[in-house]
Amino acid sequence: MSRRENQDVQDTNIPSSPVASPAPPAAADKHPLQVAKTVDGQAVLKRLQSELMALMMCGDAGISAFPEAESIACWKGTISGSRDTVYEGTTYKLSLIFPKDYPFKPPKVKFDTPCFHPNIDVYGNICLDILQDKWSSAYDVRTILLSIQSLLGEPNNESPLNPQAAALWSNQEEFRKMVMKLFRPSP
Amino acid sequence: MDADLEALDALTEGNLQQIIESWECFCTGTDSFLSGDLSVAADSDEYAASVRALSHYGLTRLVGDHFLQALEESFRKNAVSKFWKSFNPSSDKTAASTVSSFSNVISLMSQEGSEEMLTASLEEICMEKVYQEKLLSILLNSLLSEGDVASELEDYISTLLPRHQLMVSSVLHSTLPQPFLGILRLYFRKILEELSSMITGECEDGYEASVDSGVGFTCKSDMASRAGAMEIEEVYDQSVTLKNNELIKNIGKLVRDLRSLGFTSVTEDAYASAIFSLLKIKVQYLAGDDYRSPVLESIKEWIQAVPLQFLNALLGYLGDSAGHEDSNSGLKSPLASLPTCYPGIDMPSEELVRWQLRLEYFAYESLQDLRIAKLFEIIVDYPDSSPAIEDLKQCLDCTGQHSKLVDSFISSLRFRLLTAGASTNDILHQYVSTIKALRIIDPTGVFLEAVGEPIREYLRRRKDTIKCIVTMLTDGSGGSATGAGNTGDSLLEELNRNAENQESADYDDDLVTDDKQAWINAMRWEPDPVEADPARGSRNRRKIDILGMMVSIIGSKDQLVNEHRIMLADKLLNKSDYDIDSEIRTLELLKIHFGESSMQRCEIMLNDLIDSKRTNSNIKVSAAKATQIDAKQDEGDMSLEVFDATIISSNFWPPIQAESINVPVAVEELLSDYARRFHEVKAPRKLLWRKNLGVVKLELQFEDRALQFTVSPVQATIILKFQEQASWTSKNLAAAVGTPVDILNRRISFWVSKGILVESPGSDSDDHIYTVVDEMSETNRNGLAKGTLEDLSANDEEGEGSLASVEEQLRKEMTIYEKFIVGMLTNFGSMALDRIHNTLKMFCIAEPTYDKSVQQLQSFLEGLIAEEKLEMRDGMYVLKR
Repeated sequence: MSRRENQDVQDTNIPSSPVASPAPPAAADKHPLQVAKTVDGQAVLKRLQSELMALMMCGDAGISAFPEAESIACWKGTISGSRDTVYEGTTYKLSLIFPKDYPFKPPKVKFDTPCFHPNIDVYGNICLDILQDKWSSAYDVRTILLSIQSLLGEPNNESPLNPQAAALWSNQEEFRKMVMKLFRPSP
Repeated sequence: MDADLEALDALTEGNLQQIIESWECFCTGTDSFLSGDLSVAADSDEYAASVRALSHYGLTRLVGDHFLQALEESFRKNAVSKFWKSFNPSSDKTAASTVSSFSNVISLMSQEGSEEMLTASLEEICMEKVYQEKLLSILLNSLLSEGDVASELEDYISTLLPRHQLMVSSVLHSTLPQPFLGILRLYFRKILEELSSMITGECEDGYEASVDSGVGFTCKSDMASRAGAMEIEEVYDQSVTLKNNELIKNIGKLVRDLRSLGFTSVTEDAYASAIFSLLKIKVQYLAGDDYRSPVLESIKEWIQAVPLQFLNALLGYLGDSAGHEDSNSGLKSPLASLPTCYPGIDMPSEELVRWQLRLEYFAYESLQDLRIAKLFEIIVDYPDSSPAIEDLKQCLDCTGQHSKLVDSFISSLRFRLLTAGASTNDILHQYVSTIKALRIIDPTGVFLEAVGEPIREYLRRRKDTIKCIVTMLTDGSGGSATGAGNTGDSLLEELNRNAENQESADYDDDLVTDDKQAWINAMRWEPDPVEADPARGSRNRRKIDILGMMVSIIGSKDQLVNEHRIMLADKLLNKSDYDIDSEIRTLELLKIHFGESSMQRCEIMLNDLIDSKRTNSNIKVSAAKATQIDAKQDEGDMSLEVFDATIISSNFWPPIQAESINVPVAVEELLSDYARRFHEVKAPRKLLWRKNLGVVKLELQFEDRALQFTVSPVQATIILKFQEQASWTSKNLAAAVGTPVDILNRRISFWVSKGILVESPGSDSDDHIYTVVDEMSETNRNGLAKGTLEDLSANDEEGEGSLASVEEQLRKEMTIYEKFIVGMLTNFGSMALDRIHNTLKMFCIAEPTYDKSVQQLQSFLEGLIAEEKLEMRDGMYVLKR
């Protein structure tokens, strides 16, 4: 009898082990399609939809984003450089990937267009506090985009991802030249 | 020829001499015959002997040909020119143009006694022909009396008579003057008209006589007198036929003469065309512009009475008709009363039947053409004009020229209905009438589809179509006080009818499972008309259902339901009582048609009203109790008694435009009191007032008069402010009422137009001063008295409803779509139409859901391109920078 019980225990244990090690969030990020399909993806879906609606209706100049056709968890964003900054007249494409536990975790945001900026590295990664430890579920796509837009004009030179850019920031004219040299307008 | 040559060889001198003598004798004999001196030939055998002698020498052919030639010459010389001269006085000038010859005809026919002239000259020429035939027979006799005649010669001789006949007709035909045909036609027409008037006149006489006889037998029932009338009619028919006999005999003789002259086809053509033109005139006369009575039967009767009688008699006289002899015998077959029978004719000959069919077809066709040309008018007064429609249906069934109808009707629709000047209501009414009328003509609906398409297309381009349709649907009885009172073709009855139909249709469907029923259905199957568009599916799916066709104008029933919801909400919000019986009835009908689920929101709205009634009375009861308990509380003239609330579940109602107003303090107190009590009754729920909705009945008391109004709360609030002070500037008043100045100016114009307030320019250009008119001048009073009568219950005159209209909703939707489109194009650069459509479908799913078709999207995008917001590059849409 005891053996029997043991077996039962084992039986219950075996299926539990794969559950214990679910797919890492990073994997989920790579397969956003799956994210949208999961059960709690429904809540994400709803949230993202309302964010989309809000973003579309707010009409903020210079920022925009829209989900890619395949999934609502993968967005493309567009940010125009603000006036009176060195980025004036440029537009940058971004990609935003929302995790399945969004909005409790921040989305992964990257620059698709190369951007010469102290807090943006050559791969497009952004160093922005609200996208890391300062994230709050009160933020949304719009606030993220607005933050990134203002980051362009006001870099944080304390913790640069691009030291060259950080060093050049003081010379705005040279910086502007550099920005324009590296800027490739999106098609 | 060989034989002749041999014969020539064998000729002797004597023989030659004899031949020459005989020939001379023959020639002189012939000449004298032709000059009319018959006695020479008749008496003497000399002529015959010479002919015999000539034929003996094998010259039969020569003799025959010569004789015929001589006949022809004399016929041409004497008879023909004389004959034609009588018809064509100007025949000397042979180059007379058609026009002048036509005028000749007219002048000829206008002369008295032209008929006699025609018959006389015909007789004359026939005499001539007969005389010639007689001569020919003398020749033939002498030729044949030879005894042994070779068979080939016999053949030749036997052809002489037909050759003569041919000669006569060809001579006449070759010299035929143009007006002759016209003369014949006119002649027949005159005769027919005479006959027609005679017969109809007799018939009327017969009716009169029958009335007289009816008077004679006053004790008899209606039926009996009618039977008597019929008998008398029959008697009269006979007498008419007898009287006609003389006329017919004349015609018959004439026709026979003409026939003998080889004018058979010409004659037939002439009287046929005379009959047809008369028939056409008759049809036009009978059909006229009156569509309220069926005319087909009377036309058929007329065909029976006049042309067929005529033809029967004519054919009978000519001996073509069998059994014509006993047409006057008075022996009626027992089937005589059947409409297919021929009065006065027992056994119709085949020829006559053929004539009848021809005539009836012609009648059908001319009536059909007549009706089709006027189809638009007919459909305009549709329910009254249904007899004309029935006629048309019968005609079309016979002629099968439905496509003519479709083409002509569509063009008249385009020309007369689908224009900017026609109101949508009229177009819809006409559309409904068209559906109903064409449903009679063509139950399969094939032609209706073709005709309806242009109307639908046009209506889709009109903005107020949906509104009009819904109004037509819901304003069934009595509700059309504002409209032209066209309740006759309201769609509500159609809803009713449809409900019944649907039930019976379900019943049918159940029966189809039955084998027998299926068999019956199969037997009843008929192929679609050839004009049917095969793409449209079989007739089973093409049920003619007016509502369905109305919905198909709009595209989807959702839009219709939505519009109905908005209109219903408007109606309900403006109700001061809770009487919604008619709305409930309409809703039930709509539910049958559109399904329970789609009308759910409307049902909730109605339920809100029912609940409101209950809650309202509950609250009033509790309020009454409260006032009884502390009697000291004196509410004055404002109490909950005069106050009714409509409590709505705003989630299910269409979006309501919020407009803030500061209602008077007393009312505000009342409202909060009511809200408190509501909270007590319906524990967790709270009331949120929409102060700008509803209606206020108020009475304005002036020194010399009292006026009653039913107005909106804003208007009431405005006028109540004038209790405090007699004059307000518009800015101050707007602040006091709590509305923006421009809205205030719009609302206050109601009172200005009623003469209660006057507007005067203030210190500031956009600040007006409004003052109460206390004493009314005489002129004002008159205008006012009229105004109050007319607009006692005037609400917002600007038609500015408190609800967001469908158009506004549509505009709102479209701006959202525009933002989405701009959003996606910003991020994706360029996109094809399909991708935009799919993306919208995918992500624009919150309220309002994207539910447009690709085509609608395309036209919308084209609009954006026109506004220079987008560009089109290589089939892709891009943002315009």
